[in-house]
Amino acid sequence: MRTGRSDKSAGRQIGKSANRQVMASWSHYALLAIRPLLFATRYSLLAAVFASLWLLDRAFVAQLDPYAFYLLRLIGINLILAVSLNLIMGFTGQFSLGHAGFMAVGAYAAAATSKWLVAQSPALAHSPVWQSLVFLGVTVLGGLAAALAGLIVGLPTLRLRGDYLAIATLGFGEIIRVTFVNLEIVGGARGLTDIPPLGVTPLTSHFWWVALWAAITLWVIYRIVRCTRGIAFQAIREDELAAGCVGINTTYYKVLAFVLGAFFAGVAGALFAHDPDQRYINPDTFKFMKSIEAVVMVIVGGMGSLTGSVMAASVLTVLPETLRSIGEYRMVLYALLLIVLMLTRPAGLLGGWELSWRRREEISPDDLEQPLQPHRPTGEPLLRLCDCTMQFGGLVAVRDFRLALREGELVGLIGPNGAGKTTVFNLVTGIYTPTAGEILLDSRRLDGQPPHLIARWGVARTFQNIRLFKELSVLNNVRAAFVHQAGYSFWAAVLALPHHQKREREIERKCLALLKLFGLHERRHEKAKNLPYGDQRRLEIVRALALAPKVLLLDEPTAGMNPAETQAVMHLIKRLNDEWGLTILLIEHDMRVVMGICRRVVVMDFGEIIAEGSPEQIRTDPKVIAAYLGEPMEVETPADE
Amino acid sequence: MLLRVESVDVFYGVIQALHGVTLEVDKGEIVTLIGANGAGKTTTLWTISGLLRPTRGRILFDGRDITHLPPHERVALGIAQVPEGRRVFLNLTVMENLQLGAYLRKDRDGIQRDLDWVFSIFPRLAERKDQLAGTLSGGEQQMLAIGRALLAAPKLLLMDEPSLGLSPVLVQEIFRVIRTIRERGVTILLVEQNAHMALRVADRGYVLETGRIVLSGRASELLANEAVRKAYLGE
Amino acid sequence: MDVTQALQLLVLGIALGGIYALIALGYSMVYGVLRLINFAHGDLIMVGAFLGYFVAKSPMAEGLPLPVRFASVFASAMLGCAMLGVLIERCAYRPIRHQPRLTALITAIGVSLFLEYGGQVVFGATPRQDLPLWLTEQNPLMQIFAVQITDKHLLVLGGTFTLLALMRFLVLNTLFGKAMRAIAQDMTAAYLVGINVNRVIALTFALGSSLAAASGVMLAMSYPKIDPLMGLMPGIKAFVAAVLGGIGDLPGAVLGGFVLGLAETVVGYFASGLRDAVAFTILILILLLKPTGLLGKGMVEKV
Repeated sequence: MRTGRSDKSAGRQIGKSANRQVMASWSHYALLAIRPLLFATRYSLLAAVFASLWLLDRAFVAQLDPYAFYLLRLIGINLILAVSLNLIMGFTGQFSLGHAGFMAVGAYAAAATSKWLVAQSPALAHSPVWQSLVFLGVTVLGGLAAALAGLIVGLPTLRLRGDYLAIATLGFGEIIRVTFVNLEIVGGARGLTDIPPLGVTPLTSHFWWVALWAAITLWVIYRIVRCTRGIAFQAIREDELAAGCVGINTTYYKVLAFVLGAFFAGVAGALFAHDPDQRYINPDTFKFMKSIEAVVMVIVGGMGSLTGSVMAASVLTVLPETLRSIGEYRMVLYALLLIVLMLTRPAGLLGGWELSWRRREEISPDDLEQPLQPHRPTGEPLLRLCDCTMQFGGLVAVRDFRLALREGELVGLIGPNGAGKTTVFNLVTGIYTPTAGEILLDSRRLDGQPPHLIARWGVARTFQNIRLFKELSVLNNVRAAFVHQAGYSFWAAVLALPHHQKREREIERKCLALLKLFGLHERRHEKAKNLPYGDQRRLEIVRALALAPKVLLLDEPTAGMNPAETQAVMHLIKRLNDEWGLTILLIEHDMRVVMGICRRVVVMDFGEIIAEGSPEQIRTDPKVIAAYLGEPMEVETPADE
Repeated sequence: MLLRVESVDVFYGVIQALHGVTLEVDKGEIVTLIGANGAGKTTTLWTISGLLRPTRGRILFDGRDITHLPPHERVALGIAQVPEGRRVFLNLTVMENLQLGAYLRKDRDGIQRDLDWVFSIFPRLAERKDQLAGTLSGGEQQMLAIGRALLAAPKLLLMDEPSLGLSPVLVQEIFRVIRTIRERGVTILLVEQNAHMALRVADRGYVLETGRIVLSGRASELLANEAVRKAYLGE
Repeated sequence: MDVTQALQLLVLGIALGGIYALIALGYSMVYGVLRLINFAHGDLIMVGAFLGYFVAKSPMAEGLPLPVRFASVFASAMLGCAMLGVLIERCAYRPIRHQPRLTALITAIGVSLFLEYGGQVVFGATPRQDLPLWLTEQNPLMQIFAVQITDKHLLVLGGTFTLLALMRFLVLNTLFGKAMRAIAQDMTAAYLVGINVNRVIALTFALGSSLAAASGVMLAMSYPKIDPLMGLMPGIKAFVAAVLGGIGDLPGAVLGGFVLGLAETVVGYFASGLRDAVAFTILILILLLKPTGLLGKGMVEKV
């Protein structure tokens, strides 16, 4: 049954790829010829977007009812808020209840600056171009001020998780608000009045600015979360610990998400303060409820769906207004709708679905280079654990653990449940810092270093209970290991610079080559959580290999597999070791796996090594029999003996 | 007949996990359900315990249709489960875990008797009865999970992969205990990855593949069956 | 500031802290079982206060002796809120129990908004200050260094500690409490040992909501002005208090409540404008120094 299916799909694949190759050959040259042109069009497209926004603006100014026009601007501002918060909550998974605080910082910084500027030079209003430039500067300034606030808030609080993070951000939001209440220079509790509507010139209305910034926000965040570096955000959301273990500096990306989100929230605040129908802010504008409104928009739209945020921002801005006719029942109905929506569509209107208008060209899996370079191991000691002890409170999980792994070795680590095997892995990969002892890779100290550095230096691992990025595609799971190897900046990604595009294709080719090696390339667009169990285990190994590690730590790679699957994985592990000279440390419960492929076995019990040697020595060691194997006659004989 | 699962279909959302599963367990038997990961073994047990509702088919226990009973009423009738991955209450003590096993029982003497019995099978639990379950080793937690289920005084004990993740020596211990439990008159439906051990302890067995029963028979027959040997015994 | 003023502040702080503590206790009960931040908890305070208000104002209350009057005010508020809490759980929270926690949180926010704006429709938006004097009057009982301690102070403190002791006993020593903790830890396993999960959760909501009602009446007693939005800020602050103490931990919630009440009172005395900010500042400091709260126990993440 299994083979039948793969045969069929293989046939389909061949047909497709032949087709694609024909197309590739001529389109390749065509592409070379027109690449500069394409590049120019990309930016002319951008100019066209701006121009059409401007035309729209002119049309609205002439035709639209002022109230509807105001609502449109409000939608735009809420859209910026929701999309920026979605980066923090939906993509990075950090629950923030203080977004209104950042909006406040931006609004106050921008409004105070423009008030001051106008007071300094009243002539500002006479030159539309000059005024527009000043306004652009003021909104950016608002954003930067908020970003700074985001940095100050984010650095200490992002260590916290879940509810604690939520309450801490709520606290910061309130602190920001109370600070403004007590800041007499910006009007204290009365707030700032008569903010000059700098966005309104003979050439543009305020709407144009809102639309412009909404477009920029959407574009920037869309580009960032889609590129390989941006996979980091979603990887952190899915599994922070695993993200660290594939080389992602989780703190950096969490703070970055916070700072970027805060920047755009600040811009939204600046736009809000300068709205010609508003022109007035006070601390109460940015109360806790404002943050809640933003959160509601993100969740109602769907976490991690930019399209959803846009929709929710529109619906949830217009809805309360259209309900105005029913007077005091309006908000009751709003609340009821919110509850009903959550009960009927718990993942939000769109879930994680995203509107996409362009299919990427597919890379053919047939012409991929060999992903792993054969390596002749030197046999020198590579990974050394020297007298490592790990203590949790009074409990000693690992005591005086000593192990030297030579390059090219495949060593098995066995022992009863709770003996401390996984703790050893956690020590090596930096999840725990040993209470005593040293860990060395070559001559570099690993203990005390964060997981993402250890991963980058060449230690990759898998997990006992599979820690894939479940909601991400198979391909993106592997791409996550390339976050630190991306080799371009976010600017390059946002501006779609050529070297970024080129590098993205290289990375995708590498990922596909690795996936193909394990027969997973056909399923590259499926969500990791939808893979069969055995494939999930394999994918975890692929993700680890994508780090191009020196040492691979495998934590029960065949757990939960049937004998046939186990055989296949065993074969693969052996190949990794034989053909490519990869150094492997393997935790296993299945004795056949260990005895079949390891030349050296280490046995642990109660956190200590009780035996070490060849599989034959281990099998007859009385200590091992008593603690782990049981009576020798009951032990199943290894399969390949 | 103690338990009869009759042409049961179960869905997770739109994905069908069980297709017309039918199986029977007689009083006093050990019946094993083997199959690959994802074949639907746990789904079957969860359906019997009432955690999942079938869209078609019915479940009879002791001659009574229990298809629509909530989980706690099924426990009251005598169906207890040792869930996969042990799932003991980590922040509660060993003793509290065992007391919760007897949650629905009112017969103090009977509870005490069963408690003594559990402690006699697993002396290690008696030594650690005031410790938090979270501080136990994996093997001890498995013992606690079994003990907790036994304290419900079940007529039918559903065991989901009791040997998963245990060392060979503990696996043998667990299977020894399974025999002991049967000797006390408890009927057992055993789900296992370790088909070898399961078929050796069981009277009869069913083989589950992608949500369907594809094979059933006496355990000794299954052990000798060519397809079973190839797929589940790794020979 | 002399000693008298300092002591006066201390008494005021403890009295305020007692109310926060009681609200936080209710928060923690529900959170402890469901891991749900029940945002509507603050609004149940408001409903409790209004229920108490109406009973106290009713002609029936006139004829009763004072202690019975108090008892009936508390009892009816608590009973009414318990029923409301069960209703909320049944209609809004149970259907999404297996959804991601954020979904539950947004639903809770929806319920909170519903109660607030519904309250404005039913009770009117203008604050009511005509609470009966016997309910709100502070009768001095004793005097230490010219600092007055009133019957209401004692009522708040006595009530808080009695309810804390009761809840703690319930959670730690009864089978029901064990079932609550079992559900908190692993709902599936709780089903499998025969716990009627729905009933235990409904009862937990009833308990938590009646605690909210009790604190609502006490709040109205101490600060005699009630309106549909009165629960919002105390609700948020009590949640802060619960986190401060280590959320889900009952004595922690009470401790957090007192710390917060004291800090707020003291800071408010020196700089009234900073009152709210400093409460949150302390919270953030504690979270950063001891992220699991004052009494919360850290759990090593299982890898």
